[in-house]
Amino acid sequence: MTGPAISRPYRMARFQPRKLLASGAGVVFVLYVVLYAIYAALQPSALSSGTFTNLVNNSVPLAIAAAGETLVVLSRGFDLSVAGVISLTNVVMAVYPQQGPGGAVLSLLLCLAIGGAVGIVNGWLVAVLRLQAIAATLATMIVCQGLALLILDAPGGMVADWVSYELTDRLFGVVPVSGLFALAVALAWLFFKRTNLGIGLYAVGADEQAAALSGIPVRRVRFAAFVGAGMIYGLAGFMLSAQTATGNPNAGTPFLMLAFAAVALGGTSLSGGRGGLIGSILGAATLMLLQKVLFSGGVSSFYTGIFQGVVLVVAIVFGSAFASLTGRRTAA
Amino acid sequence: MTPQTEMLDKFAAERDTRKARRFDRHTVSAVVVFALCVLLILASRLVSPSLGSFQQVLTVMTLASFLVVLSFGQGLVILTGGLDLSLPALITLGGVLTTTWIGNGPGAWYLLPAVLAVCGGVGLATAIGIVWLKVPPFIMTMATSIIVASAALGLTNGTPRGASPEILLLLMKGSYLGVPAPVYFLVVFAVAGWIVQSRTVLGRYLYALGTNREAAQIAGVPVTLVSILPYVVSAVCAGFVGMMLVGYANGATLRMGDNYLLPSIAAVVIGGSSILGGSGNFAGTVGGAILLTTVGTVIAAIGLEQGLRTIIEGAIILVALLLLREELFERLRGLSAKVKSAG
Amino acid sequence: MKHSRLMLGAALVAATFGLGAATTPVQAQDGKKFKIYLSLSYSGNAWQSEAANIVKALAATPPYNEMVELTEVISGTDPQGQISAYESMIEAGADGIVSFPISSTALNRTIRRGCDAGVLFFMYDATVTQPCVYNISYITSGFGENTAQALVNELGGKGKIFLSRGVPGNSVDKRHTDGALSVFQKYPGIEVAAEYYSYWDDRTTQQETAKALVAHPDVDGIWAQAGEYGAIQALLDKGGKLVPMTGENSNGFRLALADPAMQEKGLRGVSAGSPPAQSGYAFKLMMEILTKKRTLEPSNIEYPLPWVPADSVKVCEGETFENGCNAFPDGVVPSSFVTEVLDPVLLPELSIQSALNGTPVEGATIQPLPEEVKIGANEPGINCQDCEPPADLYRLTKIEPTVQP
Repeated sequence: MTGPAISRPYRMARFQPRKLLASGAGVVFVLYVVLYAIYAALQPSALSSGTFTNLVNNSVPLAIAAAGETLVVLSRGFDLSVAGVISLTNVVMAVYPQQGPGGAVLSLLLCLAIGGAVGIVNGWLVAVLRLQAIAATLATMIVCQGLALLILDAPGGMVADWVSYELTDRLFGVVPVSGLFALAVALAWLFFKRTNLGIGLYAVGADEQAAALSGIPVRRVRFAAFVGAGMIYGLAGFMLSAQTATGNPNAGTPFLMLAFAAVALGGTSLSGGRGGLIGSILGAATLMLLQKVLFSGGVSSFYTGIFQGVVLVVAIVFGSAFASLTGRRTAA
Repeated sequence: MTPQTEMLDKFAAERDTRKARRFDRHTVSAVVVFALCVLLILASRLVSPSLGSFQQVLTVMTLASFLVVLSFGQGLVILTGGLDLSLPALITLGGVLTTTWIGNGPGAWYLLPAVLAVCGGVGLATAIGIVWLKVPPFIMTMATSIIVASAALGLTNGTPRGASPEILLLLMKGSYLGVPAPVYFLVVFAVAGWIVQSRTVLGRYLYALGTNREAAQIAGVPVTLVSILPYVVSAVCAGFVGMMLVGYANGATLRMGDNYLLPSIAAVVIGGSSILGGSGNFAGTVGGAILLTTVGTVIAAIGLEQGLRTIIEGAIILVALLLLREELFERLRGLSAKVKSAG
Repeated sequence: MKHSRLMLGAALVAATFGLGAATTPVQAQDGKKFKIYLSLSYSGNAWQSEAANIVKALAATPPYNEMVELTEVISGTDPQGQISAYESMIEAGADGIVSFPISSTALNRTIRRGCDAGVLFFMYDATVTQPCVYNISYITSGFGENTAQALVNELGGKGKIFLSRGVPGNSVDKRHTDGALSVFQKYPGIEVAAEYYSYWDDRTTQQETAKALVAHPDVDGIWAQAGEYGAIQALLDKGGKLVPMTGENSNGFRLALADPAMQEKGLRGVSAGSPPAQSGYAFKLMMEILTKKRTLEPSNIEYPLPWVPADSVKVCEGETFENGCNAFPDGVVPSSFVTEVLDPVLLPELSIQSALNGTPVEGATIQPLPEEVKIGANEPGINCQDCEPPADLYRLTKIEPTVQP
């Protein structure tokens, strides 16, 4: 009997525009373009590369954090430790800055290592000890917050100059460097999706029992998801430090809810098995862009919240409506 | 011993013992959680001589009453496989409406239910979004939270005014026979909540829905109604918690609910319920709420810096989770079965 | 079913944009108006809304009502949100930004770009370390150390005390607490029995104080940041005596200090703390610079520390701080109302309605500020970077020790 047919990627290499549009990422991309058009109409300077760079710099930390979160959500879990890892890596960057480009690489590796370590703990708790993801990662988040407070008890510190200048700058005066990091994550994902581990991720999220019966190493896949997510959160903390140039022990707290909103906006199902990182990255960008659009549209500050809530719901409704119109299964 | 009697012996050993299993997993986990609370309270005497006392128990239960009521609603939502993130905003709504519409004026007896009805209405709107528009609960409740918080901000122009109605002050500040009123309330609510969740038909429907939606539908459970109900209940519970906080602090602020969201989820999960729905009981959740409050009390008394205190808090939650694992029970049961069959 | 959902979605979108159109404020056609932005981050407590309201009231008071186009932007607790808001304001051509910054350091780069574009930044209460900014704050006036000394004086130099702090990881909380501890540590008889974070909220203060009281029912005094009225409630809940307390300036606390029944039970102390009036002062200062009535380089300006001991509490009869009164009757404002939002010298154009609703006072006109501004001390991490604090950073300004360590 041949082994499970997962060595050959089931996704066809042909370009299928209809399928692309129907996917979550397609919908949020359309939403992003529409919002940007409105923004440009209200604010002519929106089309300048300086403004675009600012927007990208602002969105990249959330985009990368949401991308990491997606890995866990795809395997049918919740990872609350995103807030903890970002706070921890941010204070480490600010309290132990490493100068120059070599130092930047060192800092990056340090952030990835911290995130990975937290991911290993999470993976062990959830995949091996079979604790519930939401509870276990809540506990690890609290511990990480405590560690961050131990390292830096009030906002301060100073991130290395090279990091905070180069990584918020533009390449050839046009391309935002931070955007390249997000792009790198997206490309890594496209590659990872076609590996056994990547396909296993979807399978475990869609139906764990069936995946186990098909011979997919469920525990290993889950473990890998948490470790990968943790490392990506480390990268997000790194990019955040570049943007704010200082440390804050509470830096990660706002990311918790926003990351999940970005993930859902990007079309990933919160019960696992469907979606992808690209959608989450675009979802994060859309959320940040929405703030700008509301500002330019002169929406009074009290109503901003109402707008954001309604837009969130509308986007999801449209997304799932689109998906069902083009023949895919409706959201759970 | 003939082969036949050997086989008979073997089958005899594998009798159906389901009824004999008096303590199911969730009862045991509830007991474990309460035991942990008692242990922690006794251990806290090491931290300070005034701790480990009956007074501490009373204070903990008074402070835990908010979380217990909130976790009931959150628990019902989680039971059916959802998650309610709008609770902090609804707590604020309940509190703000109470002080703004009622204050310490007349008419509390019919205005308080009106405030609860408004909260329930919000819950209904959320539920409609989830059930009819098929928006994932996480997102719908998050959206509701943002919208309600904005509305409260606009309604009060930033400064909620008004004091607490008399009856709430009686509930939260009164004391009978040396025991604070909220403690009596907690006990009554805990029992009532447990009965509703585990002993009524409605409760059974909720468990069924959370376990397997399709099967529940086939079995004749009114799925749409039962899906909507938990969100309405959790919204009303949250609004009531807002009222309790108003009585406790004699006023409302726009952020009063913020610190209660994660603890409400933690209490449910620590109490043994599965985040995916379909299992758990309210007794465990009450235990989880009290445990979290106890941990907070003990941590507050430790004179370490905040970073260390936070780490200890996270570690205690982790320990509680590790002790309540599914596999631990299987192993214990296996152990007790071995003991039984050996003896 | 699928199509009905799509239709409903479309209806929601239409309604959303309709609502948006309805709430869009009229844009000023007159190009000569100053474009001023009021940028809040955190919102939703009495202090924040009072501070925002008085700026709105001042902007609507003649002659500023003709000269200023004020837009309020609330960006939430996420620094990224406020960074994005600042960038939008700079792009929109702001003349001045009056702001409560969420972070003392994260916004610096964006502020630098704004300064380069000619925008004036006025921060109130919370400060940033960017040098091109005007920081208007009481934080350099020594709230922590002065109130700590007052408490020590009340206790005669010995006793068990609680420290009710603010938000963990926040530089304002740290500055206050460091200042207070510098005094407490001088007295070996003073023991800090419990230290907890109350998040500047009455409710949380009440709950945390209740927890601390379980462990230490024999506390002798409480040093509190904002939310202090909650500590009194916790003591009342427990029953028995009250203790000397220092705190900020909520109306409930001031009335309690002046209440004979509470004094009977042992309540004494001082009400100091953060005045929301700083925002009005910052706004008026900015307008005087924009209208060329004053020249001032970006600097750290100190707002005087309110200082009201128990025997100086005077309840106001009317709607303003007149005749030296400094608290409002119960029922006129809630106990969480922050009283130091008016000032007879600096902000005579305001009344209690301005603080509650943001409405200008009938017939009032903008009065000039006093000529002199007091420059605050350098405090690294709070209002400057790469700077040294003065040697006497924790020097007492409001009170003398009556007890020697």
